Amino acid sequence: MFDLKFQNVSKRYFFTGGSGPWHLPWHSLRSRQKSEIWALRNVSFEVEEGEAVGIVGHNGAGKSTILKLLSSITAPTLGEVSIRGRLSALVEVGSGFHPELTGRENIYLNGSILGMRRSEIASKVESIIEFAGVQDHIDIAMKKYSSGMYLRLGFSIAAHLDPDILLLDEVLAVGDAAFQGKCLNRISELRAAGRTIVLITHDLAALVRLCDRAMLLDSGKLIMTGPPRKIIDEYLAMGFAGVESLTTTDPASEKLAECRGVSFIPGHSGESIQTGYPMTARLTYFASRRLANVGFKISLYWPSGYLCSELATSAASGINLSPGLGMVEFYCPVLPFQPGWYRVDVALESNEYVIDKRQCCATLRVDPGKVVLGDFYFEHTWQVIEK
Amino acid sequence: MIVSGIKTLIDYADLLYTMTMLRLSVRYKQSLLGWFWAVLQPLALMISYTAIFSRVAKLSSEGIPYPLFVLTALLPWVFFSSAISGATIGIVHYGNLVMKVYFPREILPLSYIAASLFDFCIASLMLALLMLYYRVALTWNALYALPIFGILIVFTSAVSLIVSAAQVRMRDVSMAMPLVLQVLLFATPVVYPLQSVPSNIRRIYLMNPVAVLIDSFRRVLLHGDSPNGALLAIASAITILTTVLAYISFKTLEATMADFI
Repeated sequence: MFDLKFQNVSKRYFFTGGSGPWHLPWHSLRSRQKSEIWALRNVSFEVEEGEAVGIVGHNGAGKSTILKLLSSITAPTLGEVSIRGRLSALVEVGSGFHPELTGRENIYLNGSILGMRRSEIASKVESIIEFAGVQDHIDIAMKKYSSGMYLRLGFSIAAHLDPDILLLDEVLAVGDAAFQGKCLNRISELRAAGRTIVLITHDLAALVRLCDRAMLLDSGKLIMTGPPRKIIDEYLAMGFAGVESLTTTDPASEKLAECRGVSFIPGHSGESIQTGYPMTARLTYFASRRLANVGFKISLYWPSGYLCSELATSAASGINLSPGLGMVEFYCPVLPFQPGWYRVDVALESNEYVIDKRQCCATLRVDPGKVVLGDFYFEHTWQVIEK
Repeated sequence: MIVSGIKTLIDYADLLYTMTMLRLSVRYKQSLLGWFWAVLQPLALMISYTAIFSRVAKLSSEGIPYPLFVLTALLPWVFFSSAISGATIGIVHYGNLVMKVYFPREILPLSYIAASLFDFCIASLMLALLMLYYRVALTWNALYALPIFGILIVFTSAVSLIVSAAQVRMRDVSMAMPLVLQVLLFATPVVYPLQSVPSNIRRIYLMNPVAVLIDSFRRVLLHGDSPNGALLAIASAITILTTVLAYISFKTLEATMADFI
């Protein structure tokens, strides 16, 4: 029995941009049909009752459009969307809070916006406040809240919904590590209780942990569905497609050089990258002209967004590049990282400015290798010396 | 469509209540005069209209003291116009919400109606005081004021659905609204009696349900007459027709409203 069903769904958006002060009424009538974009094209899938499905894809692939269609925020241009059961969508935590109202008043406001009845909210209000950890501030206006409190209260209200189907869009990256843990537990609870979950996240570790199945989207098309690990590998293989290039050089001038790709290669007989074993990181670049004194950097981030560590060419001895394609290899004899998924940024810098920078352009997957107790693998040898 | 739409609306009835309370409490937070504003607007209009139309223009008021005459019509008029001008911007104002969460969108314009209704109730106390002051003899016909005002609420809701949905597609609506309401005020017997309307245009004039309802409202309260049944029947028929059309077109536009915010 399905809970959610997409049948040949396409969604078209129109742009009405580019109207200056001399924009006359008849212009908008004529130009209305001109600029359009298909956010989704002919997408079909089903989500079974009690299933947890993750959606991955680069920005602009159509993930959020799927959630908007599932939650009836908007309707498809073509095709049909069917839903069975009470559905709650968390597209952005805390949307609908009113800054002038107190936290408590906002619980009622936000709760009713999310579809709860007042009596239901009244019975849960204390538990919501406790979960969010804002007991001391609950009766003051929310404009005085810190952004962390704002988000925690928002998630806490949502976590107390009791839907048959829960849609989550990038809501796991809320609050500190302890609060994130609470959020994940709550989602696992709902999952264990047989609720249907659709999850959009860039936190690939959470995806593997929570989902039975994943779907890969690219440019509005459903590329494939399958077990989360397989889909994530496929997603990572897509490389830089869709990752925006950031640069601090004059954007009008031609690009001096750019990063073309990054890959991680296990440096031992195993097939995957494992804790405690060698690894090679390979960054390919393209230089359009001769460049002096450049540096390459690969930054690895925890799912929480904190910098874990960096691979970088030495700043003191800059590299001179010749025009054309090239490759930088970083060799790590022992990988100290715990098993998990790490977000990757790459950058190409020269002296004081950034020539090219790609954020979140790849993910490093580390599989269990040597046993780690604690934060990282500590390479060591030992011997017994008897007197 | 209508049945399932109304079922969803009933599911979200608590949200309508919460949004109305939000509207009321936010409006008066950090304001010095607070609730008194609900009285102040019709009061100020009453004073200035009395000065202009009674003292300067010397309009007839059917033998009723002009301040009472004009205030009795001003209360339903202010209800109508404040509800409509609020509802016009309602959905666009909450665009952020509309793009992120699903709920029946009509709750937004309807919450402005409910808030205006609340203001109307407060301002009615002032009308009651003024009626006492001028020793108006109430008759049982005054009870007709309730169903008459009921029809006005329904008509106002229907108009608010149309203008709020239209505003999402064309922001011109809110630009035009003050002008439209100004014209409509003078096409409604608020500052002058219905009798002053030339009989050759009265047929068209009475196609406006607001004009009929406001005149009937004043008639049953101040004159103690029973309302003109034929006129009320026409106004009710127009109201029902407008409501059905407004609801169907609103629900049709609602599906993709989020794309136009």
